[in-house]
Amino acid sequence: MTYSLLSGLRVLEIGSMLSAPYCGKLLADAGASVVKLESPETGDPARRYGPWPDDNPHPERSGLFLYLNANKQGVTANLETPTGRGIMRRLAASSDVVVHNVRPADMDRCGLDYDLLAADNLDLVMASISPWGLSGPWRDYKAYDINLAAAGGICEGLGEAEREPLTFGTPEVGYFAGMAAASSIVMALLARETHGGQHIDIAEAETMAGLYNGPEALMAVYQWRVTRRTGHHALDFPYPNCILRCKDGHIFVGSPEGRQWGRLLQIMGSPEWSQEQRFRNRTAMNNLYADEVDGYVESWLADYTKAELLEIALEHRIPLAPVRTYDEVRADPSLADLFVVIERDDTGPVSYPGTPYGLSGDNSVPPSPAPTLGQHNPPILCDELGYSPEELVKLYQTGII
Amino acid sequence: MPDEVQNDLIPSSYGALSGYRVLDFGWVLAGAIPGMALADMGAEVIKVETRQRLDYMRMGRPIVGDQPDPEQNPMFHNVNRGKLSVTLNISEPEAVELAKRLVARCDVVIENFSPGVMDRLGLGYETLRAIKPDIVMASISSTGQDGPLRDLRAYAPSIGALSGLDSTMGYEGGGPLGLKHAFGDICGALHAVFAIASALYRRNQTGEGCYIDVSMLRATVVTQGIGLMEHALTGRSLRPRGNYDPTMVPYGNYPCAGEDKWISIAVASQEEWQGLVAAMRNPAWADDQRFRSQYRRQRHRREIDALVSGWTAQHDPDVLTDLLQGQGVAAAPVLSAEERLFHPHFMERGLYNDIDHPALGAEPVFNLMWNLSKTPSTVRSHAPLMGQHNRQVLCGTLGLAENELAELEERQVVY
Repeated sequence: MTYSLLSGLRVLEIGSMLSAPYCGKLLADAGASVVKLESPETGDPARRYGPWPDDNPHPERSGLFLYLNANKQGVTANLETPTGRGIMRRLAASSDVVVHNVRPADMDRCGLDYDLLAADNLDLVMASISPWGLSGPWRDYKAYDINLAAAGGICEGLGEAEREPLTFGTPEVGYFAGMAAASSIVMALLARETHGGQHIDIAEAETMAGLYNGPEALMAVYQWRVTRRTGHHALDFPYPNCILRCKDGHIFVGSPEGRQWGRLLQIMGSPEWSQEQRFRNRTAMNNLYADEVDGYVESWLADYTKAELLEIALEHRIPLAPVRTYDEVRADPSLADLFVVIERDDTGPVSYPGTPYGLSGDNSVPPSPAPTLGQHNPPILCDELGYSPEELVKLYQTGII
Repeated sequence: MPDEVQNDLIPSSYGALSGYRVLDFGWVLAGAIPGMALADMGAEVIKVETRQRLDYMRMGRPIVGDQPDPEQNPMFHNVNRGKLSVTLNISEPEAVELAKRLVARCDVVIENFSPGVMDRLGLGYETLRAIKPDIVMASISSTGQDGPLRDLRAYAPSIGALSGLDSTMGYEGGGPLGLKHAFGDICGALHAVFAIASALYRRNQTGEGCYIDVSMLRATVVTQGIGLMEHALTGRSLRPRGNYDPTMVPYGNYPCAGEDKWISIAVASQEEWQGLVAAMRNPAWADDQRFRSQYRRQRHRREIDALVSGWTAQHDPDVLTDLLQGQGVAAAPVLSAEERLFHPHFMERGLYNDIDHPALGAEPVFNLMWNLSKTPSTVRSHAPLMGQHNRQVLCGTLGLAENELAELEERQVVY
């Protein structure tokens, strides 16, 4: 759904895959008018990522692209050409915000020089999202999601001790960079009257190594908690704090508070093993005997489905949580209003995740579908920038748009 | 004496949010982070807390000595730096009145109590709006302010489980191992920060405030774009696939020389593959017709993983990273917490900085790294001691007399 928080705000997004597009999506869903600029040949690489309806690949029907780019308008310009850069520069001149994730090594070549763009627009807020940031020895190093997760502290503690460290099941880092950029942009706008425009440098790796995992690094200094790969158990928490098997899948079982564990044992029929001396200290139970206790708890869980265990959790105030597969997330009636159906001629109606926060007193409106490649070239290049239809044709024929 | 501690290292006038004031009932992690971010950006953030019910994040193993001490949790120091602390025992009606008087002087209120608690305390949005019509109030909860899951006892791993995030987290063919991070807390907190800033933007245009309801579950679900779209478009639900990307081979963490050392390598294009082959010094196997194109390599993922591992296992991860990056290949070591703290790139950019805390001395905290060229995020002071700013806020901002404060402390209203 779309709110009116940022209505009137004009944003130019030059984004590919996750980070800048998610930033653009947050701004668009909050009411900003977002123009997405893509390369005329292939467009955003997310168009080639999928998934596709019925596994029938097509650049206009990639699920990742359609999701992240709903509510935006689309133009094309080849930033490798002076004319293409000129179009981009004119769009930036009439925008409040530019957000991009062009690699630092390519920024100047693509005309994404803040000083140059700000010369035409003193109040311009530009956010540059890059893997490692705009300074430092790794500035020009490449990175995909797993590299950022590895350096950012995600992988070190994920997986079995004897096997390779794991990363997220699907790319996630870009979402955090997008949230950091979107928040920074709006804060720069709040300061615009006093400070004018600003250039914002957001490093994807630092969103993980900083806010996401920074406190962990500090804990390591004090040897308070040392992160190691210990499979589905984490060290130094009171047992249980793990995912276990139940009748029809998996369930997270936790009980940080003693009384929660007490209630869980009661429901399990106060089993004999729970009285053993060595299980008095639940952190020791977790660190030393977790596998053994898993067996006891799973033999009880085996009689219950995820849905039944969720009922038990609600009734007895115990932190049990089903590990839900995506079909189950979709089927949760309490999340029904999170999803929004967008219809486009070539996809039919498709249900997408919507805005994750609720707002009082704002009549949200349904979002518009993601743009096809260059869909809004005529209204934006002709009506707004003043190119004639003849010029538009020429720009297309010469591969600039 | 707490109030003698120097706690205004950097004037807030340098911040993007200089001049904004926030009343922060947020606690533990998800509730503390938004106030931290706003403080780093220059807002005056007043943390309301009480000895009657300590912020869980103040508890835990002491670092100096062996007595429990609410001033010794490094995690607390990280996510509450830059705030002022006022101790109001809000189970007392008089303390609630003081909180309301503070609301009248604030732009933003943040809270993450269990749903319904603010209403029960007499601090619900409608009440606060009557006091300050343009107030922006944000509530952060696990599963939302309404609905059947609202009262579920949920912690960070619960959100990973319920959101679908955990369902793909594991080795191929195995069960879900689960992500033991506070993904949902941070995701919820960041969406809250964005919504709060955007609400202030609109308030400045229209004069209207609003109430924001952020659920960690919903915030996490929207980051599951690939998995949810896979289900919407193909009907399939993704399962654990180990380190896998449908467009890249190799894509994984590969063993290196040394104890438990690993390097992440990801190859998306033919040029990057050629770079990898060059870095490996053109081994004969790389010429095999099974590996000639990205399409063929996709079909021989396992063989490539084994062959690349054979090479990486002989080398140091840092040396390999520079070598591979020199050939245009995306690579980075799997860094441990200590390695991140002392990593040359992060050090040069100032990702972690030492800050003096009265209880523990110099200790590192992470920087938010929202690098705005004129008003960058800045750690403005150490996390406050309990009630450190009672006088500054209650006498200074609210105008209580010194003896009134003393009397309220005596009666444990300010406590």
